[in-house]
Amino acid sequence: MSNQPSNQSGATRRKDKAAALTEICSVRLGQSMYGVPISHILEIVGQARPQPVPLAPGFVGGLVHYRGDVLTAVSLRHLLKMPSREGTQDILVLEAPGGYFGLLVDSVGEVLTLSSSEFEANPSTLDEARRDIIAGAYKLQNALLIMLDPERLDPVRLGVAEAA
Amino acid sequence: MDELTREFLIESQEGLDRMERCLTDLEERPDDAALIADIFRSVHTIKGTTGFLGFKRLEKLAHTGENLLGMVREGKLEATPPIITGLLELMDILRAILKNIEADGSEGESSNDGTIIANLEQLQSPAKAPQAKEADSAHAESIQAHAVGKQAGSAETGGAAVAEPPVASAPAPAAPVSSVTSAPPASAPPSKPSAAAAPATGPEGPEAEAGRTKAASTTSAAESTLRVDVALLNRMMNLVGELVLTRNQVLQATSADPKMTLLSRRLDMVTADLRESVMRARMQPVSNVFSKMPRMVRDLAQMLHRRVRLQMEGQETELDKSLLEAIKDPLTHAIRNSLDHGIEPPDVREANGKDPEGTLRLRALQEGSHVIIEVSDDGAGIGVERVRAKAIERGLISADRAALLSERELLQLIFLPGFSTAAAVTNVSGRGVGMDVVRTNVEKIGGKVEIDSRAGKGTTLRLRIPLTLAIIPALIVRSLQQSFALPQGALSELVHVSPEQATTTIEWIEDAPLYRLRGKLLPLVFLERLLMPVGSEATRDRDSFIAVLDADGRRFGLVVDGLADPEEIVVKPLSSALKGIGLYSGATVLGNGDLALILDPGSIAMKAGVAMTGEEEAARATEDEVADIDNKGAEFLLVEAAGRKAAVPLGDVLRIEQMPVKRVEYVGIRPVINFDGQLLPVDDTAGVLAAAQGDPEAPIVVVVCREGRRHVGIAVSHVLDVATGAELVEAGTSLRTDGVTLLKDSVTEIVNLGGIADLPVESDVENQWNPVEALQ
Repeated sequence: MSNQPSNQSGATRRKDKAAALTEICSVRLGQSMYGVPISHILEIVGQARPQPVPLAPGFVGGLVHYRGDVLTAVSLRHLLKMPSREGTQDILVLEAPGGYFGLLVDSVGEVLTLSSSEFEANPSTLDEARRDIIAGAYKLQNALLIMLDPERLDPVRLGVAEAA
Repeated sequence: MDELTREFLIESQEGLDRMERCLTDLEERPDDAALIADIFRSVHTIKGTTGFLGFKRLEKLAHTGENLLGMVREGKLEATPPIITGLLELMDILRAILKNIEADGSEGESSNDGTIIANLEQLQSPAKAPQAKEADSAHAESIQAHAVGKQAGSAETGGAAVAEPPVASAPAPAAPVSSVTSAPPASAPPSKPSAAAAPATGPEGPEAEAGRTKAASTTSAAESTLRVDVALLNRMMNLVGELVLTRNQVLQATSADPKMTLLSRRLDMVTADLRESVMRARMQPVSNVFSKMPRMVRDLAQMLHRRVRLQMEGQETELDKSLLEAIKDPLTHAIRNSLDHGIEPPDVREANGKDPEGTLRLRALQEGSHVIIEVSDDGAGIGVERVRAKAIERGLISADRAALLSERELLQLIFLPGFSTAAAVTNVSGRGVGMDVVRTNVEKIGGKVEIDSRAGKGTTLRLRIPLTLAIIPALIVRSLQQSFALPQGALSELVHVSPEQATTTIEWIEDAPLYRLRGKLLPLVFLERLLMPVGSEATRDRDSFIAVLDADGRRFGLVVDGLADPEEIVVKPLSSALKGIGLYSGATVLGNGDLALILDPGSIAMKAGVAMTGEEEAARATEDEVADIDNKGAEFLLVEAAGRKAAVPLGDVLRIEQMPVKRVEYVGIRPVINFDGQLLPVDDTAGVLAAAQGDPEAPIVVVVCREGRRHVGIAVSHVLDVATGAELVEAGTSLRTDGVTLLKDSVTEIVNLGGIADLPVESDVENQWNPVEALQ
């Protein structure tokens, strides 16, 4: 296929209607379904119990042990202003310019292959805070898959944003 | 750059390093054929390869050097100081060319190659050689007589034998201003001026022999080694860490299955060995850094007109490669300081009744999980009054405050940025960068710098470096239902406070909690409240532990809920998003797979605001310690048992436990205490237990001590104090008494730990095997 996504990170925000296919991992948070492009995911760690970090900024869900390294896990619930949840959570290990980090979600669902023709950018009515981390949405048959922008979830970036 | 050239550069650098080492040694033992052969080999190898790679300039220079060395090797020439100086110069220029090749692939412009070659050729001519030698020995004598004054004049005499005196080598044909001796210092040449003039008469025999055998063994070692990328070693280290954790989980999961036990034990041992080996692979002997020093000391001594004997000890002590790199600069600074400010010029030394040749000692030794590197000189020492005046002059401290400082505190001022007592700024030091750089560099790698100086006697600078950066010993503490790691380096003692004691022993000045530690008030920081400012309670109805910490001179007690075992932890860096909190220096994975944040005692002290109040307290505490050390007597724990006082050697005391007398149980008639399955025999010769028998709740104190490999307890009524014992001798015979010491002016009996009867135990081998504990 000639029009494969050339720039993978930008793939989710493409506005053109060319029918490029992207593999997306779906995750569940409360009642909603969110998507993360699979190209950014290094590994999925199930049933993890992140270690809380006292005095850390609110978006930090804790620390997790991943292959001999200690990763900072970002709480998606906090970013989306949802109440925090007891018990174990699944973690997506994502790659960022400054290293790896974890994304805490309630549970990881299946991997979907979606066409970019089904993608639409954020509506103008979306509030500022959420617009910052949401890239847009894929229209599924009976629901919307809200796309997250992994690069904007990087704790280093969030830390800078929080400080500002 | 192609692989071949790179390989050549590395090899040549190593060759030159070896050559430098050998040349300075050669000055000491000019007749050592093995040394000469070694130097010859290095130059020869460089020459051979350069010809092959087409580096003409290098080849020509190396060739001249080889010719000269060839004659020395065949015994036609003696390795006189001018020859050695010539060869050292050659080496410097070879190094410069290698650097050029590394930078841009070319050999660079030849500037004074001609003069160097001419000089070396001149030195070869046997007719001229004796002349040069004569001039030199005359020169050596002139140095003895008038120290530095004659140097310029005699340099001319030496230079006259050379057709074209090279500009770069003006002070060249100097006598061996510095002579180098390796440990042990006892075998150093007698410190008479004649020893310096004729170094050949120095260490002959066993030491020279040892040098030869060592040279032989290094060559064979070179053949069995392999260059490995450090990044690969780092990766291996990480993977081994991961394996250790997986192993721990396997051990826990399989502990119930007897068939798996054997397998998992095997896994356990292999993992332990592997971890050890990978760590070892990163270790290098400190001689890698020390070996650069003789040349530096030699050059500096010439430049500063000092006469210095360098002694080096403990070169085989090993340190992690990255740490070794990190101490290179601080060490260089320290040595420069010693030569410039410490060791006086020979005439001054003589006038003060000292040996005109100063001694600079470099010593490395391992002490527990630290390597200590000492730079000591027998120079002028640091004049505290000058330090005080200089600090005020430079505006580093106000005059009022300076007047209040103790001698020890004044010494610490030299670590402030911008401090220098040198009257004149020299090339070597005195620019006010130096000691603060030493301290920052050493602290950056988790080390400490201590300085000790006696005016007129000398200065000792002690660098305490952790063995590895990655692994530190830490105590695991609990707070907020979570584990935290507390680096052992800052920890000085632990105090247990039971819930019923908490209300009385923790005192308050307004809302500042304090603990009375041996009569002094210690500021307390509640970890829980520090980490969770809202929601934690002020009153405590459970056990607490006070970890007495000493961080950067700030002394305070950190109150935690519980203690777990000490562990060797692998430090993992935190994301920059968390560095802003400041209280944590990293995170680690514990043996049970849990994560723990590593607490940074210094930042905790700052955040809690104990900085200023704690400072003087700490200074006083350290002063007390110093005073004790000065007394040189052994320290004892003074206890009272059933009305009588007794002493327990402090070095043997592990901890002090307070408990109700009912905790003591009996095996036959022998009192024992059961600590979670570990049985401790208790000594009750004083009858403390018997006296307390009526009331099972009566509190007793048990001093837990180390005796050989076992632990024993001593039942006492109270612990009174720690004091230094003084020696007692038997009247008439003047023989030292045994089992008794003078403590606080009263004769006190020392408890005989060896006399406590053994518990019945199984054979030794069974007891030794405890891999899980040994590892984690």
